[in-house]
Formats: sequence, structure tokens, C-alpha cells
Amino acid sequence: MVVLAASVLSKSGKVLVSRQFVDMTRIRIEGLLAAFPKLVGTGKQHTYVETENVRYVYQPIEALYLLLVTNKQSNILEDLETLRLLSKLVPEYCYSLDEEGICKTAFELIFAFDEVICLGHKENVTVAQVKQYCEMESHEEKLHKLVLQSKINETKDVMKRKASEIDKSKIDKNKGDKGGFMSMGLGRIEASFSDMSISSTGSGVGGGSGAGVTTDVDTFSTKSKGRQPSSATAPPKGLGMQLGKSQKTNQFLESLKAEGELIFEDVQPRAGQSRVAAPAPTDPITLTAEEKLNVTLKRDGGISNFDVQGTLSLQILNQDDAHIQVQIETGGNPGILFKTHPNMSKELFANDNILGLKDPSRPFPTGPAGDAAGVGLLKWRMQSADESMVPLTINCWPSVSGNETYVSIEYEASTMFDLRNVVISVPLPALREAPNVRQIDGEWRYDSRNCVLEWSIVLIDNSNRSGSMEFVTPPADSSAFFPISIRFSAASLYSDLKVANIIPLKGGGAPPKFSQRTNLITENYEVV
Amino acid sequence: MEKSCTLLIHFDKGTPAIANEIKEALEGNDVPAKIDAMKKAIMLLLNGETLPQLFITIVRYVLPSEDHTVQKLLLLYLEIIEKTDAKGRVLPEMILICQNLRNNLQHPNEYIRGVTLRFLCRLNMTEIVEPLIPSVLQNLEHRHPFIRRNAILAVMSIYKLPQGEQLLVDAPDMIEKVLSTEQDPSAKRNAFLMLFTCAQDRAVNYLLTQVDRVSEWGELLQMVVLELIRKVCRTNRAEKGKYIKIIISLLNAPSTAVIYECASTLVSLSSAPTAIRAAANTYCQLLLSQSDNNVKLIVLDRLNELKSSHRDIMVDLIMDVLRALSSPNLDIQRKTLDIVLELITPRNINEVVLMLKKEVVKTQSGELEKNGEYRQMLIQAIHSCAIKFPEVASTVVHLLMDFLGDNNVASAIDVVIFVREIIETNPKLRVSIITRLLDTFYQIRAARVCSCALWIIGEYCLSLSEVENGIETIKQCLGELPFYSVSEEGEGTDSSKKTPQANSITVSSRRPAILADGTYATQSAASETALSAPTVVQGSLASGNLRSLLLTGDFFLGAVVACTLTKLVLRLQEVQPSKVEVNKATTQTLLIIVSMLQLGQSSVLPHPIDNDSSDRIVLCIRLLCNTGDDIRKIWLQSCRQSFVKMLSEKQMRETEELKSKAQVSHAQPDDLIDFYHLKSRKGMSQLELEDEVQDDLKRATGEFVSDTDDMNKLNRILQLTGFSDPVYAEAYVTVHHYDIVLDITVINRTKETLQNLCLELATMGDLKLVERPQNYTLAPESSKQIKANIKVSSTETGVIFGNIVYETSNVHERTVVVLNDIHIDIMDYISPAVCTDAAFRTMWAEFEWENKVAVNTVIQDEREFLEHIIKSTNMKCLTPVSALDDECGFLAANLYAKSVFGEDALVNLSVEKQTDGKLGGYIRIRSKTQGIALSLGDKITLKQKGGS
Repeated sequence: MVVLAASVLSKSGKVLVSRQFVDMTRIRIEGLLAAFPKLVGTGKQHTYVETENVRYVYQPIEALYLLLVTNKQSNILEDLETLRLLSKLVPEYCYSLDEEGICKTAFELIFAFDEVICLGHKENVTVAQVKQYCEMESHEEKLHKLVLQSKINETKDVMKRKASEIDKSKIDKNKGDKGGFMSMGLGRIEASFSDMSISSTGSGVGGGSGAGVTTDVDTFSTKSKGRQPSSATAPPKGLGMQLGKSQKTNQFLESLKAEGELIFEDVQPRAGQSRVAAPAPTDPITLTAEEKLNVTLKRDGGISNFDVQGTLSLQILNQDDAHIQVQIETGGNPGILFKTHPNMSKELFANDNILGLKDPSRPFPTGPAGDAAGVGLLKWRMQSADESMVPLTINCWPSVSGNETYVSIEYEASTMFDLRNVVISVPLPALREAPNVRQIDGEWRYDSRNCVLEWSIVLIDNSNRSGSMEFVTPPADSSAFFPISIRFSAASLYSDLKVANIIPLKGGGAPPKFSQRTNLITENYEVV
Repeated sequence: MEKSCTLLIHFDKGTPAIANEIKEALEGNDVPAKIDAMKKAIMLLLNGETLPQLFITIVRYVLPSEDHTVQKLLLLYLEIIEKTDAKGRVLPEMILICQNLRNNLQHPNEYIRGVTLRFLCRLNMTEIVEPLIPSVLQNLEHRHPFIRRNAILAVMSIYKLPQGEQLLVDAPDMIEKVLSTEQDPSAKRNAFLMLFTCAQDRAVNYLLTQVDRVSEWGELLQMVVLELIRKVCRTNRAEKGKYIKIIISLLNAPSTAVIYECASTLVSLSSAPTAIRAAANTYCQLLLSQSDNNVKLIVLDRLNELKSSHRDIMVDLIMDVLRALSSPNLDIQRKTLDIVLELITPRNINEVVLMLKKEVVKTQSGELEKNGEYRQMLIQAIHSCAIKFPEVASTVVHLLMDFLGDNNVASAIDVVIFVREIIETNPKLRVSIITRLLDTFYQIRAARVCSCALWIIGEYCLSLSEVENGIETIKQCLGELPFYSVSEEGEGTDSSKKTPQANSITVSSRRPAILADGTYATQSAASETALSAPTVVQGSLASGNLRSLLLTGDFFLGAVVACTLTKLVLRLQEVQPSKVEVNKATTQTLLIIVSMLQLGQSSVLPHPIDNDSSDRIVLCIRLLCNTGDDIRKIWLQSCRQSFVKMLSEKQMRETEELKSKAQVSHAQPDDLIDFYHLKSRKGMSQLELEDEVQDDLKRATGEFVSDTDDMNKLNRILQLTGFSDPVYAEAYVTVHHYDIVLDITVINRTKETLQNLCLELATMGDLKLVERPQNYTLAPESSKQIKANIKVSSTETGVIFGNIVYETSNVHERTVVVLNDIHIDIMDYISPAVCTDAAFRTMWAEFEWENKVAVNTVIQDEREFLEHIIKSTNMKCLTPVSALDDECGFLAANLYAKSVFGEDALVNLSVEKQTDGKLGGYIRIRSKTQGIALSLGDKITLKQKGGS
């Protein structure tokens, strides 16, 4: 009861199409089909041939044979019925019943044969049903598409509405601005507008843009609220606009989500983000400890250069607060050599870890708020050949296979740091289009101008200490993928330097408020 | 296990598609172009290209396509690509398709889901299937039957995978639930099939709970039920009783396919007379109700099987079987007669013969072209009936004698031979047959029939009246004497001027006739074609049939006439008291004979009488002039005696054949014996434990390779390169039916690594290499096994040439080692076969290719030489042994063989012992194709020398 194969042969014995329904080797089926034309006799009034192992049931159709190969115990009545059905199907799909016609529609025939026989068993179908199955006209699919389309339309509507609302609110606000700050002149209008939109988030005077409270804005220290007017002159102009825009897209996505659409939020970090400028200091005294990493790793493991350079800088906003000393705590790492500013009192530092000017009466220089650098107090340096000190190791394996090169990259981050805004840039051989990224932990971007594939991971913490990416490029030498350069930042330092206290030198009273920032950034981090 | 092949498409090599073009089209957005490119890619893959670079393109650009046709083609593509690496592990990139498959399984379009599920049935990689299982299971409950159907099959094939039981632990449970609620007949069938293959107990359980409703089930399901029953009963014989009931109820099913299946199931389950009878009845019913010839023939095959195993039961059904004769197809009629003839018993012989007679009469009225052949078959059937049961002869012989004058010479000859035999074996019928024969003699048209009838008349006219009648009849048929007059001669020469051309043309265009022993006959006597040749003087001689035959120049018949007349006159001398009458008859006879001689020597006829016939006629004249007792005895008695001897020999041969046939079917000493009466359940046969159906399927798919012993394999080892070559290679050649497998061992004999080592093969003859060669790297002094498959499509000696090409690190050019040629022996493809003499002769005449090989041998004995040729060519000798007996210094024999591809190979061997004691002569080989004739000729030339 098993049909081994359904085939169409030309009268001369050429196999035009054959579909097998049970496992058999190519040589076997070709052998069986090659033997057939020699077995089929002429002038016989029956249309089957039996050999030692198989039975052929056939039907001549013009210049062709339609043939079923079955086992010998197969039920002839059923097979004949199958053959009859197939013989009706062949002309349905072939315009001309000759070699050319069959070859042209070979695939359609195979699809039709599949509907009639499955796994060698006959299906109970009619010609009309087979045609229907092969056309694949599905009511449900249409319905599904309609629903999808209507959802998209709906969302578009919502989007438009929201957009117009926002536009309106902008106009309203503009009007309000004009009313309030007329005297400031046209040149300031724009700045004050962005000003307004920021302040509105905090104070809730937002008017029309009620939906504008986002987490992005929360990063601003709440401590700074009181002094905002003075410091708020600095923020870059475009920031406010940008926030508004992202709100709009967010809304769109949210509404899509609400309607059941699965949307991956696009959180691809920008290339420059690892160097995000530190927000302008808002405390009267700010201490910034920054370490820069210069690391060169070898591509097959090992360090060729590891160098950390750290600075501690002080920034004082008001002259009043400038008479201070800074008490610090160092991590006690013996590999780190500290060097104070020539103006600093070395003894004080060596004995008490206090940074103060040699001349205690002199105040520290105060800087304007915009100058982020501040005054350097202390420098330190660390060098090491210890691989365990490397915060992030990269393992890149290009392998050529056939006409393609498969590149697998893997990173491993040490547990010392939580790395932020990691960007791994892999140079590629000149490519017109993006490489085929097959698997990735994180996001990727292809910079076609520089031929660099950038793999970015927003945050590497304990949940993803290691990760990998694989992509395929046209064949290339493995050295083409080096040097890989890496950028990231982290909030903790090698030196573990901490500011313990600020000791005011003038007038007792409470020590002034200070804020401390620590920042580890990469200056030159490469795998060569 | 070699990769299985799921589809073949003819690929026109004239328009090769470039991989790059395909790639570009696949990357584009144009759907028709994409479809086209997919098709091309699939064709290229089928044609043996690997196209590895295309996979990624397809994953990237084709996978997301929305178009249905593209998706379906994609499934075909995935079906045929290589999914595993050399070690059988799934390639890692295959995981990429999983997501797409999953999406397809959840596609809103039910047909996409369906075809994807169907594709899963053909996928046997656990790694790919595993993540898809939840989606497959979801589809089990889809509301569209098309999906459910395929989902069930997908579950089945997943469950059947090596670790399928772990993947889908509760599959039988689920399917059982599905089965109980399913309404769609096809899906239900699939569900039952799944239980049947994966959890037989559950299937049986379900069947038994639903016993009463089986007859209402769909046709497809019923078929599977029957299959299940067969399988269950095979393993668990004790439970057969339960199922037989189901089968009986299904015998009344509306679908004929089910009925047929029921019958074969019954036969395989039981040998109880009732069951067999029911099955046989069913077959007979199908035989009558089905109009399709194929069905009839196959049902007849089944009946034939039943006949050999359960003859006693079939005997009762003989009349039902006979009814199949009503079909106009000769093959069916022949098969039916074959079955019936072996079922004849004294009880039914009369009925059968009556039926056959009716059929014979029917052939007279019908206008069908095949009637003649059919009649001949019927006559032969009646003939063998009459031999088995001589008492029926009287009822048929007269009827048959009406056909002596039949236009179909073959059937007329059959009739006359039949009559000849009956008249000897049935003395009681002699008088009536002779009377009848004399009455109908004038109707006989064919020369061969005439001569046989004349012999009967000469031999069996015993009484006075019969003898006189006989002489009279012959005289009448010869017409007025002389055969030609002088005036006629004039006319004759006139007309002979135009006709000889025609005659000579017809004569020369005829091929030389071959006698039964395979020798060429150079005479043109007594052949049917003479009948159709235009006769010169027929116009004036409408009267006698003998006369017209004689006037066509058939002097062999003339000699027979002369002998018959002589014989009759000799007998007349014994029975006629009146001397005057005898003398009168003698002179008349002499006159006739003399005029025949005269005719033979005249110039009226295009060619004069041949020497043999004229000698014989002259002998008759001499005999009539002076008779003697010795001669009388020879003429009147010895003739008859040798005929009797011939008959008895024929009978002996038949009984011997029967005996040898009977011997074959005897049980082997260690066969199991069923003690019918000791069995607990009556009539239940011993069943083989192995599953025939499975075997049958395996044989069909070619999986069933019998293990040939290794010794045999080692005999066919072939050394391909020399021992001093840097690469040593040797091969086992395994010849299967349609393919040759070369197992080549390659050994690196150098101390260097050989890179890009490639075995390049080329073939001559009807051989085709299946795969492209691959490159290997061979470490110093290591070896590698390479397999090469070669397809064979006709019987012919083929040669496989080859090179081994490699590179080494220090030499930049590729080094080539030429291999020894591998010759494929034709003997592997031909096997001895049997065909009738007539078929042999027609083939001999038809086939275009002849290869003539002069005998050149050291063998001195003709028989020994024949044996040697038979042995070395693996053919069957068609010439009976009895004809080859005795020493006469020459020998002619026909050999026949058939190839696995159904081609015929004919050989005629004619040798003569020459005066110097050596054998001389020719061996002729004929075949339809050049290949066989040539290859076989080469083979014979090579082997005929013999001696060692």
C-alpha cells in the first residue's frame, strides 16, 4: 500500500519529474526509472509491469508516461485510482503535454503530487481540492492581513493626532514665552524656549506637554533644583527638542504595544556616547577623579601594554568656598604611584592623605562653571602586565569557510567593573553593504564609510559578563579584522580613590557641600 | 546510509544558470524572478552542485519572503540541501531556518502551515525539529482539517526519530485523543496510522472498542485497519479470531480497494477453507466486476497463487474463473486458461470443455482481429484437456475439425496436430474422424496443414471404402490432369515473363528460414508465405486446393501427395479383392505422380522441382511398379510405429517435467510441519514472524542488500596502481542491479602529505558517474577509503578509466597517477531465461545487430564445447537435450538470456567436426542493441578457447 514514487517520463525514457514518497537513494530511483522504458512493451492492453521487486503502474499521456512505482504488495485498485487522479492533474498544470511543458511546470507538478500522496499513502482528494490546496488562497490569511492593516492605520491616526496635539501645545507655549520674556530680545527666544521645556519638567508648569515627564530627565540631580537658574544657561541648545521628539516616538510605540504589537525598542547607543560629557557641576565644590586606560591586547591573548593614568581635579564655583583642604582615601594599591601638584604640600599628603596648598592661606583657584576640567590636584599612574587587571578581553576568531568568512567575537569582562556604553569597533575589509550578523548579544551598526562594524552593549554587569557576536563577510584575510578598538566607561576606579572629607580652613562651621565624581574611560584600548 | 533522494527533475544542461545570477535574483525584490531563481537553485542542487554560498543568501533574502510559492520552493530547497557535515552532525547554520519554520507553523495561511508540517515529516534532524515541537502540537487542534492531517503525520515522523520518544513523550496519548474526536476521514486515517506505527496496543484497543462501526468508516481508514490486523496477527497469532470477524464485515464494503485488501489479508492470515474460499470468491467477483485490465491481470495472479497453495478450493471456483474469458484482452485470456487448465478434474472437465467450445464458436462470429490468436489458444487448451481426459476428445474433435480450413495457419496446424494425436490415441474415433477429414479436406488452405492431413489419410484409411474415398478425395483436390497443357505453356511463358520478377522479388526478400534446431533452411518448400505468393495459373484452376498449392511450386507437398497416394494404393492392394480395381488405381496414381514430376521439370513455374522432392516422387513410382513385402511393411507399419514412439516420448517428457516440478515444491527436511489436527484453533496457519510487507517495501526501495560473504568480495579486488607509485590504489567492485559501487582504498606511500588528492573517473559505455569527485588530504603513509557510485543503464561492457591527481607542498604542479582500467563484465547483467522457439525465431528475424564469431577452440567434442559456451556466457540452452544426443559430427543449438534491463540476447551455435578432429563453425549473436552483441561477442571470443 505504498507508492514509492510518482514520475513523469518522456516516451524515450527521459525522467522529467519524479517525486519520491519514501526514503530511497538517488541511484536506486534512477535505476528503477531507467529500467522502466525497457520493460514496458508495446501492443499490450494493460498498463503495469512487474519486476522482481517493484511494480510500475503507468499511463501514457501523449508523448509521456505518467508512472507510479509501488511495491508489489500494493493495492492495485488504489494505485490505479491514484494514477487516474494524477493523470487528470497533469494536464491541469501543464499547458503542453510534452517534455518542454513538463519541465516548465515541474515544480507545480511536484506540489500537486504532494497533495495527492503523502508518505506513500493516498489522500482522499479531488482535482478541485488539489487545485485549491496548491493555490493556497486562504481566507484566514486575508483576514489576518486586514486586521493588521487596520491596526496600522489606527496607529497612524493616533500618531497624527498626537503630533498635532504636540504641535498645538508648542504653539501655545511659544505664545506664552513671547509674552513673558519679550524684553530679552529675539536672539534669546530659542534658548529660553529650551530652557522652559526643561524647567517645566521639574516644576510641572508644563502646560500642554503633560506627558513630557520621562526618566531621562530624572538623571538630573534633584539637589541642583535650587540653583538651576544659574546653571541652566549652559545646556546645549538641541537637548529640549530632542526630548520632545523621543517622547513622540515613545508614545507611538506605546500605543502600538497597547494594541498588541510586538516592538523591540531601538536603543542603539550612539557612537560618541561613551564620552558623554559629564553633566555640568552644580555643587559648590566638585571633585572629579578620572582614570584613562591605555591598553593594547594581543589578538591571541596576553597584554602588550597596560597603562592607567588618573587625575583628581577640583572645581570650586565660589570664591567663598575656596579655602579648603581635601581629605582623601586611597585604595592602598601599591602599584599606583601618586604625584601631587607642585603647589601642594607634599608632607601633608604623605602623612595624612590630605591635599592642601603649600601655603594654606591661599585659596584654590575657582573656575567658571563651564570649565569642566577644574584644577588638577593629584595624578597617578599604574602599569601592569597582569592579565587579571584587564577589564575587558576580546576574543576574535575569523574562520574562512567556503566563500565566506565567519567571524565570531566574544568578550569577557572582569568582575571589577560594571562597564557602560561599551562599543567594540571591528574594522572590516571594504564592503559595500553591511555584513551578515548572524548572532549578537547587544546591537550592531555598520559604518560603511569607515568600514567599521560597531558592536555596542549599553551595560555590562554581572548579568552579562561575557557575550558574543557572529557575522559573515565575504572571504577576507583574518588580519583584516584587527585592530579592534574598544570604548567604554565605568564608574569605579582602579585606584579606589575617594574623597573622605573637605576641611574648611576659613571659619569653622559645617564643611561646604561637595560632590564627587569618579569616571574611568578608555583613551586607547585596542586588540591588535 | 546514503542520503535519500526526494525529487528528480530533468535538467537541461544547455542553459546553465550561474550561481551569481541566482544570487542576485534572490536578493532582489522581484517575486517572479525570485521564484525563478529558487527553481534554478534547486535544479542545480539536484544536478550535483553544492552551492554553499547560496545558503546565507537564501536565509537572508528568501526566508522573509511573503510569497507562498517562494515559501514552498524554500521548503523543497531545504529538503534537498545537505544538512549535516561529514560526521553526520547537523550543521550549525541550520538553526537559522528554525525561526522561519516556526513562523510558518504559526502562519495565518493554513496551507503554508500544512506544507511546512509535511516538510517536517521528511526532516530527520532532531536538533532542528526539537524547537518546533510546541508549534506542531498547537496545530493538532487547528480547526482546518488540512492542517490537522499534516500535523498528525508530523507528530508521527517526529516520534519515529531516534530520540523521538523523549521529545514527544505523550504523543500517543495526544493522538489517541485526537482520534476519538476527529471527523475528517483523512486526518482520522493519519491518526490511526500514527497509533498503528508508534503505539500498536492503543491502535488495537481503539479498533476493538469500535468493532461494530468499522464498516462505516472511511475507505482510507479501513485500509489501515486491515494493515494493522495483518501486522497484529503476525506477531500474536492467538488473537486472530477477533479480527477475522472484522475482515468478514469489511468484505461487504462499498470500496473495491478495501475488498481486494480484505481478500489478501484473509489469505495471509488463514489457510482455513472457509477463509480461502471467501478470498477466492472475492477475487472472482473483482475479476468480473472490474473492467480494468490491470486489475484483472493482478487478480488473476493472486488466483494463481491461491491455485498453487490451495488447489482443492480453487477447483470449485473454476467456472467463475473461466468467466474472465469474456474479456477481449489476450493476456487475460491466456492467464485465465493457464489457471483453468491446471484445475481440471474429471468432475468439471465436461463443463470446462463446453465453455471452451462455446468460446471457440464465438470466435467464428466475432470480427475482432485477435480472434485467430485467441482461437489458437483455445484449441491448445482443448487439446491439453483432451490429452488429460481422452473421453472428452469425441465431443470436441469434430467441432475443431471445422477449423482445419482456418485462415489462421497456426491454429489450423494446432487443430491438425490435435487430430493426429487423437486419432492414434482414440481408436474408437478413427472412423468418424477419417470420414470427417475426407469431407473437409478440400477446405484446407495451408500447405503444412495439408501435408499433415494427407499423412493422416494415408496412415489411417484402413477399410476399402475409406481407402477408395481417400484416393478419390486427393484426386479431386488435384483437379483435372495434366497440370498444364502445351497451349497453357505458351500462355504460361507469356505470363511468366511478368511474374517471375514479382516472384523472385518475394523470394529474395525473404530471410533465410531457420529450422527448429537453429540451422538455416535454404529450401523454400512448404512455407506459409508461399500461399500468399501470386500463382501463375490459378485462374483456370479454382477447383482443387492441392492443385493451386502445387502450382505455386510447392513440390514438398507434391512429394507428400505422392507418398500418400502410394501408401493408399499399397493398402488398397491388401483390402481390395478385385485385382482390376487395384491396377486401375495404381495406374491412375502413377499418372498423377508422373504429371507432378512433369510439372516440376517444366518451365511454367519460376523454379524447377528440388532434388529431394523429385527423388521422393521417383521412389514412389518405383515402388508402385514393383512392390515387395519388406517395403510394404516399412510403408504401412513402421511409419505408424515411429509416430507412436514419438507420442509416447512426448508424454514421457511431460511427465518428467511434471515430476521435476513436483520435486521443487517438496518440503525441505528441516521445514516446519503443521499438524492440522493438533492445532488448538482449527485452520490457523503457521505464520512467518518476519513481516513480509516490510520486506517487500525494503526490497522495493533497495534497502535490502543481502550480505555477500567477504570471501567473494575479495575475489573481485582490482589493483589500480603499481606498488612503486607514490599512491597505491585498489578497488572492490560491487555490482548491483542498476549501479556499480567502487570501494577504492588509496594509500599514500610517500613521506609527504598529499594535498587536494582527487580521484577522477571517466567512463566509457552506458555508465554514468553519480557524484562529482571530492578533494582529500592524505597524511604520509595513511590511507583513505573512497566510494564511487556509477549508474548503469544498459547491458554493455563498460570501462572505467581514472586518474589520481594530487599536490605536494614542494612541487607546485599537480601530479597525476593513471589508474588501471576497470572493466565491467556483461555477465553480471545477463541471466539465463527461457522463451518459446517461435518467439526466438521472431526475435532472431527482427534484431538488427549480429555478431558472428568463428569457432576457434581446443575442445574436440561438440557437446563439451556447447557446455563450455553455456557456462562462460551464463545463458540457457533452448534446444532440448534429446535433440543434442547422439554422435553425428555436427551440432546446432540456440541459447537465450535476458538482461536486468529487459534486453534479449540470442546466440546460435553451429559447429561441425572437421576431418582433422577439430571443431569448426560459427557462433552468431543477435540483439536489439549493438552493445550486447558486441560485448557478448568479445566475451565469447575471449572464453571460447577453453582447454583450461
